[in-house]
Amino acid sequence: MTGLGHAVDTLAAWLAGGPPGWFAVTLAVLAVWVAPLLLLVFPVAAFGQILERKIAAAIQRRKGPNSAGLDGPLRLVFRAVLCLLPRERQDRAFAAFCNLVPVRTALLWSRRLGLGQFVADGIKMLGKEDIVPRGADGAVFRFAPYLALVGAFLPWCVLPFAQHLVMLETEVSALFVLATSGLVVVALKMAGWGSGNKWSLLGGMRAVAQLVSYEVPIGLAVGGVVLWCGTMDLHAIVGQQYAPGVFTLLGWNVCQGPFLLLLLLVFFVAGLAECQRSPFDMAEAESELVSGFNTEYSGLRWGMFALAEYTEMLLIGALVATLFLGGYQSPIGEQWLLLLPTWLETLLHALILGAKTLVVFLLMMWIRWTLPRFRVDQVMRLAWLVLVPLALLSLLGIAVTLLVAGGTTEGMAYGRLAARPRPDLSWLPWLLLWIVPVLAAVVLVRAANARYGGRHPALRRLTGEGA
Amino acid sequence: MTVEASTPAGERMTLNMGPHHPATHGVLRIVVESDGEVVARCTPDHGYLHRSIEKIGECVEWPMFVPYTDRIDYVCAMNANLAYCVAVERLLASDPATTVVVPRRAECIRVLVAELNRISSHLIAVGAMAMDVGAYTPFLHGIAQREAVNDIFEKLCGQRLTYNYVTIGGVAFDLHDGAVAEIAAFLDQFEREMQRFNRLVTTNTIFRDRCAGLAVVDAAQAIAWGLVGPNLRGSGVDFDLRRDESYGIYGELDVRVPKGEAFAGRHGRQGDAYDRYVVRLLEIQESVRLCRAVLQLLPPAADKPADPLGGHQAEVSKILRKVPKGAVHVRTEAPRGEMGYWIVSDGGKVPFRVRCRTGSFTAAGMFQHVMRGIFLADVVAVIGSFDVVVPEIDR
Repeated sequence: MTGLGHAVDTLAAWLAGGPPGWFAVTLAVLAVWVAPLLLLVFPVAAFGQILERKIAAAIQRRKGPNSAGLDGPLRLVFRAVLCLLPRERQDRAFAAFCNLVPVRTALLWSRRLGLGQFVADGIKMLGKEDIVPRGADGAVFRFAPYLALVGAFLPWCVLPFAQHLVMLETEVSALFVLATSGLVVVALKMAGWGSGNKWSLLGGMRAVAQLVSYEVPIGLAVGGVVLWCGTMDLHAIVGQQYAPGVFTLLGWNVCQGPFLLLLLLVFFVAGLAECQRSPFDMAEAESELVSGFNTEYSGLRWGMFALAEYTEMLLIGALVATLFLGGYQSPIGEQWLLLLPTWLETLLHALILGAKTLVVFLLMMWIRWTLPRFRVDQVMRLAWLVLVPLALLSLLGIAVTLLVAGGTTEGMAYGRLAARPRPDLSWLPWLLLWIVPVLAAVVLVRAANARYGGRHPALRRLTGEGA
Repeated sequence: MTVEASTPAGERMTLNMGPHHPATHGVLRIVVESDGEVVARCTPDHGYLHRSIEKIGECVEWPMFVPYTDRIDYVCAMNANLAYCVAVERLLASDPATTVVVPRRAECIRVLVAELNRISSHLIAVGAMAMDVGAYTPFLHGIAQREAVNDIFEKLCGQRLTYNYVTIGGVAFDLHDGAVAEIAAFLDQFEREMQRFNRLVTTNTIFRDRCAGLAVVDAAQAIAWGLVGPNLRGSGVDFDLRRDESYGIYGELDVRVPKGEAFAGRHGRQGDAYDRYVVRLLEIQESVRLCRAVLQLLPPAADKPADPLGGHQAEVSKILRKVPKGAVHVRTEAPRGEMGYWIVSDGGKVPFRVRCRTGSFTAAGMFQHVMRGIFLADVVAVIGSFDVVVPEIDR
């Protein structure tokens, strides 16, 4: 009807009680697209920031945020609700409430986990002066953070959160994700150029070089999945990964042979580079470029860049889950989930997707706080001489598998989507598909290790292995 | 690896790295002429931390200069104290009447604190180097161990950074009760901790590949440019003042000298940034061994608890009111290499001249030479690999 997707159409029609007018459509778009993003992704990204600080602290044997609890926000709520009472009575009520044992425990834990930190950080950020440097290109400088946010948020529109929870159903959603996330490149370049600062400029240049290079392996990795699944529709790709039986995870793309596993690795590494995370954080390398493209940003504009970065990390996590790890499907007993009432099923599906995303997110943090940073030339070499050839190899492997497997069976996809055919692998070819490439890889790695892997005895002594 | 800058001189971008840049250790300023990501020329600019310490030396009495030596290199203040005190003792020894004999226990304690401080100084060096390359965590793990050393020093002399502990003729205080057991326990856990540190960062492929073949200084160059200490040894020169020109009781100890051997393997070359880094780690190991050896040598404390160091402090202060005429240059091995004092006495109670020679100064002089043609990202890694500490350059 409006071309804005099933959910928008349905809601608009329901609101208008007939054919929807522009007002109903706008409301429906706000309700279906914008509100979930604001309500879901913002808090999750803010929570991600706390999580990151806690994890960094654990890795570095510190405590991390441990004092800012939710007492302050709670007191604000009391003030707002009891605004008609005098200040003392408000405080007395607040104290009485806080003395309840469960509340006291909860507040204690919120302090220990530093849950109030993002409230404090947010208020601090809002209070900062919005500085535009004298040499800056004002309009470009001001606009860049918004564009970064848009680029980080748009891809979420086509992501299937649950079987009945997709904002925009389209046949080409995989392409949509790649195209819209490319907006971030422009934003970073604008920030780097518009700041009128040499460090920013260098950061912006690095960001563009890196992001444009890594679009290639990402594109190839997505292309491999598209080739395997025979569709560009992310929702259909999720549906394809359904397998009957208790162990639903056997249907996941990552279990469909070593080439798809390889693609997962390529996608993950390139995804790390796409969201400028360590070890690919050259564009904002603190020890080299002060802060890279966002050196000159302060306050809310800086916050937008930070939020865009976290949103993008979450996006990479969600995409890894969607393309390779069965999307919103449960690893075991998916078919029982489908028997539940729709709202419960939707909730569980969304939670499962969130859990998978979180795993990838945590992995990214672990990597960030452990590894040193690549140099510019090494980053480029990794993209063009390692990731691209590996992705091409996987594409070839997948193509050969499809060719050899010959016949196709009816797809196992369920829900709104039509079933698509998928290659028919009985257990013997499936096993061969795993064993042969894995053996070849092991032999190669061992040979490379024997040739180049020898470590100086002094280093062996330093690490305590041998001698 | 190095790349030739292709842009002509007029069109390059001049970058001011420092004095307030997150990665230049302290207030070091480096003017970088860059051609995109490649450094075409780089000029270090010093003097932001100049405090006229050497001039102050001409105005205060002999023992009063010791606290100032702390500030010459606050990352290893014990070694800075020691260098000055050894120099003054050498000057005093030029006249038999004024010769000061340092009690043996004090000599042992001196070596002990000097080596502990060398450990904590090298921890800063290797941790900061890892941080410059982008790994933030190892630095904090290093700092945690340095804190443990600082705790020991705090119990010893009440200070955590500028100790003023080694005095002319001995040390300020005897070891506190239980110090020996405490230090031995620290060394044991420290060794395990360093193995974890090395597994985390030293043998990390990214880190190794970043530093391999970077800013190579061969042995002849290192000598010609006057590099000292771990930077010199990183280039494969087998020279250590503790062994080759020993002072204190270092002559009795078996000081082994690690040197650079292209540790990075395939892409590494002798004298690259990785070699300098690994030599520091090997020196940490050696220092642990020396500390243990000294704990074995340590004689029991003196009988009179009030005067644990042989009761000659009063005598020494009397001697220092009239230091014999003459001049002496004494070199000692500090963590950042040779720390030498050229002191001149005109026979009074105030030095005529105190001049200090430090390792960071020559290392910083090397920057212009080694940084041509490297990537901008490596500038900070090279600074880190030479382990320059700015107060030592500017004094």
